[in-house]
Amino acid sequence: MKFSANGYYIESYQKCPNCGVLMYANSEEDRKKRVEHEDKTYCSQRCVDWSIAREKRRASAAG
Amino acid sequence: MRKIIGIDIGGTFTDFVTYDPATNQIENWKNLTTPAEPIKGVMQGLEKMETLADVDKARLGTTIATNALLTRRGANVAYVTTTGFRDIPFIQRGNRKAHYDITWIKTRPFVERANCFEIDGRITAKGDEWAPLDENAVRELAAKIKQDGTIEAVAICTLFSYVDPKHEFRIREILAEELPGMPLSISYDVLPKWKEYDRASTTIADAYLKPVVAENFRKMQAQFDELGLGKKVGVIKSNGGEATLASAADAPVQMALSGPTGAVVATRIMSELTGIKNLVVFDMGGTSTDCSTVVDGAEHVTTNFEIEWGIPIQIPMIDINTIGAGGGSIAWIDKGGMLRMGPQSASADPGPACYGRGGQDATVTDANVVLGRISPDNFLGGEMTLDSEASHAAVGRIAKDLGMEVDECAFAMVQIANNNMLGALRAVLLQRGLDPRDFTLVASGGAGPVHVCDLMDISGIPKGLVPNFPGQFSAFGFIMTDARVDRHRTVQQSSKFFDGERATQAMASLVTDAIKELHDQGYTDRIEIKRSIEARYLGQNHELELHFNGEEFNEATIATMWEDFHKEHKIRHGFAIPGETIETVNFKVVAVAVSEKPVMPDLEKTEGKLTAKSTRKVRFKDGWHEVSVFDRADLRQDDEIAGPALIEESASVTIVQPDHRIVVDRIGNLIISA
Amino acid sequence: MDFVTMNILDSAMVSICREMGITLMKTSYSTIFNEALDFTCGLADMNGDMIAVADFCPAQIGGMPLLVQSCLKEIPISDIHEGDIILHNDPYRGGLHTPEHTFFKPIFVEGEIMGFAVAIGHIAEVGGMAPGGFCGEATEIFQEGVRIPPVKIVKRGEDNVEVWKLLLANVRTPRVNYGDLKALIAAVDLGEKQMQGIFAKYGKAKVKETVADLLLYSEKRMRAELEMIPDGIYSFDDYVESDGVESDKNHLIHVDVHKNGGSIVMDYHGTSPQAIGPINATLGVATSAAYNAVLHMTDPTIPRNSGCFRPIEVMAEPGSLLNVDFPAPSVGGNTETHPRIVGTILGAMSKALPDRVMAAEGGTHCNFVFGGVDADTKEYFACYDLEAVGWGGRSFADGNSAVDSINGNCRITPVEVYETRFPWLIESLALDTDSGGAGKHRGGLGYSKQMLCVNDVITCSQMTDRHLLAPWGLEGGKEGGCGATLVMKDGEDTWKTMREAYGKASTSRFNNVAIRRGDRVLLRMPGGGGYGDPAERDPDAVLSDLKDGYISKEAAKKYYGYKEA
Repeated sequence: MKFSANGYYIESYQKCPNCGVLMYANSEEDRKKRVEHEDKTYCSQRCVDWSIAREKRRASAAG
Repeated sequence: MRKIIGIDIGGTFTDFVTYDPATNQIENWKNLTTPAEPIKGVMQGLEKMETLADVDKARLGTTIATNALLTRRGANVAYVTTTGFRDIPFIQRGNRKAHYDITWIKTRPFVERANCFEIDGRITAKGDEWAPLDENAVRELAAKIKQDGTIEAVAICTLFSYVDPKHEFRIREILAEELPGMPLSISYDVLPKWKEYDRASTTIADAYLKPVVAENFRKMQAQFDELGLGKKVGVIKSNGGEATLASAADAPVQMALSGPTGAVVATRIMSELTGIKNLVVFDMGGTSTDCSTVVDGAEHVTTNFEIEWGIPIQIPMIDINTIGAGGGSIAWIDKGGMLRMGPQSASADPGPACYGRGGQDATVTDANVVLGRISPDNFLGGEMTLDSEASHAAVGRIAKDLGMEVDECAFAMVQIANNNMLGALRAVLLQRGLDPRDFTLVASGGAGPVHVCDLMDISGIPKGLVPNFPGQFSAFGFIMTDARVDRHRTVQQSSKFFDGERATQAMASLVTDAIKELHDQGYTDRIEIKRSIEARYLGQNHELELHFNGEEFNEATIATMWEDFHKEHKIRHGFAIPGETIETVNFKVVAVAVSEKPVMPDLEKTEGKLTAKSTRKVRFKDGWHEVSVFDRADLRQDDEIAGPALIEESASVTIVQPDHRIVVDRIGNLIISA
Repeated sequence: MDFVTMNILDSAMVSICREMGITLMKTSYSTIFNEALDFTCGLADMNGDMIAVADFCPAQIGGMPLLVQSCLKEIPISDIHEGDIILHNDPYRGGLHTPEHTFFKPIFVEGEIMGFAVAIGHIAEVGGMAPGGFCGEATEIFQEGVRIPPVKIVKRGEDNVEVWKLLLANVRTPRVNYGDLKALIAAVDLGEKQMQGIFAKYGKAKVKETVADLLLYSEKRMRAELEMIPDGIYSFDDYVESDGVESDKNHLIHVDVHKNGGSIVMDYHGTSPQAIGPINATLGVATSAAYNAVLHMTDPTIPRNSGCFRPIEVMAEPGSLLNVDFPAPSVGGNTETHPRIVGTILGAMSKALPDRVMAAEGGTHCNFVFGGVDADTKEYFACYDLEAVGWGGRSFADGNSAVDSINGNCRITPVEVYETRFPWLIESLALDTDSGGAGKHRGGLGYSKQMLCVNDVITCSQMTDRHLLAPWGLEGGKEGGCGATLVMKDGEDTWKTMREAYGKASTSRFNNVAIRRGDRVLLRMPGGGGYGDPAERDPDAVLSDLKDGYISKEAAKKYYGYKEA
């Protein structure tokens, strides 16, 4: 979630691709936990791990 | 002024209190109730009086109506309503008792769906007749009911009857013609207010009660007539006021909560006498316990009563929380092996095991006998001897299944029962935002003083009060009750267009009706009238009650009324909307015929020589103690007793736990502190 | 832990929340508040964690923590002053849907913020494309009413007049909205005042410590409950039947419930992409629904606060039906998609917890909304009408008839209130025979409400569900009856769907239909699914259902082997 420079409006909404939570650009706390993975920004390492595990589990169930 | 008798017919005992103004003497006694025939216990009790010739008034509290509703033993009711709406009692309001309880089962109304009938005819919100009443259909329905033969009473509630009751009146007229003798209740008489489900539910309850209450009251009236008391009997309504038996039988839903109101009236009087402003009364009888509060010296009246969750009975009544737990609550072991108490209860006959009438169930009273708290020789002032062995045997059976010692099991039973009753105290205190630490616990009912210290401890209430005659506290309240009639009517007008003349007339007719009802019942002296108006901002759906001082709506009183509304709204809700249109909804009149009140005599001052009459072994938390037993009759003003101790009197015993002490006040109340 | 103080403080705080709610009920103007009770009052700590809540509307209970926390991310605590009240309704900032207005007020004690009093209420008229807020064919949030970011509607105890004017200029019923907003403010004012009393009585440190313990206690009890459920991954699917824009398209809700020890994860990945129409759920709704489902499956006596929610995690893919991306519409997500999510989770857990679930309930609030100018008073009126449904059969009992769907616990507005306030004549309100799904334990019945228009014109919109996809049964139980919305125009004699009568894409979601004097509208609410094989139903129960008319003879014969004597 990124606000305009004067804070009057929202420029973009950024969400974690796994859990879907809004990530605030202006939040120090949010920034510290963030993790980049395969060109996507996740809110936390836990969400990266969960995402990978889900893909594996679904692939094996399908295959 | 001559003698007044207060009689409280409870589920287990019938209590008596008499007051003789000539001597200032108050006497009391009790005997067992025969649930099937409540009048029997009354007559038995009255035999104890030498003469009834000097009796001026006998006031009667009865649980007949309450029990019929709670045990669902009322009439087979037919419900008659406007076409399209027979399902209103089943659809109800659509909400659930608890948010997250998937096990909940929706409460059934007091009528079977197969007995709900529809009649064409429709009044609109503005009072226009949209469709005329189909009178033929009413006659056909009457024929059907006659042929069916199982219907015992009829409840009639048509849409918008509170605006114009003509369809209800006509239905009643036709049914009365076609079904002579059939009890009929119309919603306009029972609750002339909007919201069809609440009105229907209250009207159905009225019809449900009519045959059973009428039958009982008819028998009672006959018996009182024989004793020459026929014209001197009054019965206590849920609003804490008195009415004649005949007028009460006509509107039995007014009796939904009768007996317990006496204890609250008595508590209010106790507040006046002792100067203690905040009291919570805990009236523990054999089958149920009633809790209610007196805050700043006044009892709380509500119209939001529900006999069971989702079944509203919206007549004005004293706000009392009743739970089905008392001295007769039965111990049992659930599927998980856990000890439980109630809600099943041993009634008077055969009663708890200790009554020795063949009851096998272990009850709270049996546990108290095992623990030495209740003396088998001093029950009912020694008039009934309890079977201690039967108590031990009954509690022993439960103890064996649990693998416990008998006394340990009895102690657990009492603790669990206390915790159940704590729920009722929380409901009237914490759940209404009242802090237990600001209150004094008034322990009444035969079993109240036995549990008072335990309940003070677990509820956080710092002080206790055991009044004189705790076992007959409600009956004691009845000797101080006034006759009271509440009348209300929907009179919808707004501050934009207010017809003062119409309002004056409406209020005057309510006053005339209320006074007439009191006069018809024989109450002609010292009548006080209180007028009030329920109003709201146009658009709101809940009203504020404003006292209306004066008889006439003129420019000045009307202006004051609107001002008062804004002020009251600000006080009650924290804000006002100046200039907003105000709508009047209901006009209300309370007429009270004030009775003469007894004077409480002062107790003699102590001489500091109090001695125990005996000692006995009693089990407390830390084991068995040898405990002094005092006779309440020996206590004098300012006497002090430190626990552990027992104070016995005819209908009860006060258990003063270790670490608690009592002081006797001016009129003989036991004031307990930890 | 000091259990005695905790116990007393918990009861006292819940009482405060209840009193806030009663103030709201008594002073508000809309029937959705004062009759239906579609609101929630709670208390939050400094972090926005919910510390107490009263039992009003469950959808808002679960949504409260995220709502308050999102606002606190935008307005730093240092910018919040004594006497401020913050208002917010933005679905794209942690909200639920535009009608849900959140008010919160800081609780100041000796110059320091100790927490917040919170009131969330459904405002019936919010501007936008359709009177009454539920715009069934919206494709953007801007059609769903005014979007309010966190703003101070009251500043240091004084009305922020510019905000009031801006808000009230954009709704159809400003007088009523003003009354409702004042009522919400009265509620948070009361909450603040009462909590100040609590702080005065116990002291800041004691309250803070006890509240932290209370949340920990609820968390522990919730974890203990979850530990009793067998570990595993439980999956289930259900559908929302249409979005009001694309005809005949069903939208999948999928859940994998990961139960592991004392925690539970609701993984919604696999759910359909977000819809064009307003059936999308925000993350707040998807989270609230997960909490709601878990609270239904666990001990209801656990004190309700954020501690209960700590063991529950939600994974909702952005851009999916359960985590809508800006600027798609979302008004139906909170009322219709929420119960569908709860049902999907209960369905998933039905094998593991047969005694704590039910077959599908009707799962809709009907959400029939309308507005117009009253011919007599010339004032604009608007109404959100909410109705109840049949609940699902259970392994131990029949489903209840006519009960509000699982994410609400609202009340039906009485006919006499409805007609006094709005120009309709209600012709019937009647249970629908056979609408409860057959089963060993029958589903609850739905009901129908038939209304005659007595105004020149009333503009009607709706957002409901289960017109086509019936509520499912469990363990051999049959489906419950579908809902319907039908219209019979003045002078005609047949009932038509909105598709047939007005060419709408969907029968269950539409907006701005002009209903004219003499036209009739019939709203049929779905029943609940049955539980267990109908052949196993107690024959006495079948006979009693027949006598009372809950089932027809045909159904008795078809499902229950009934033979006429």
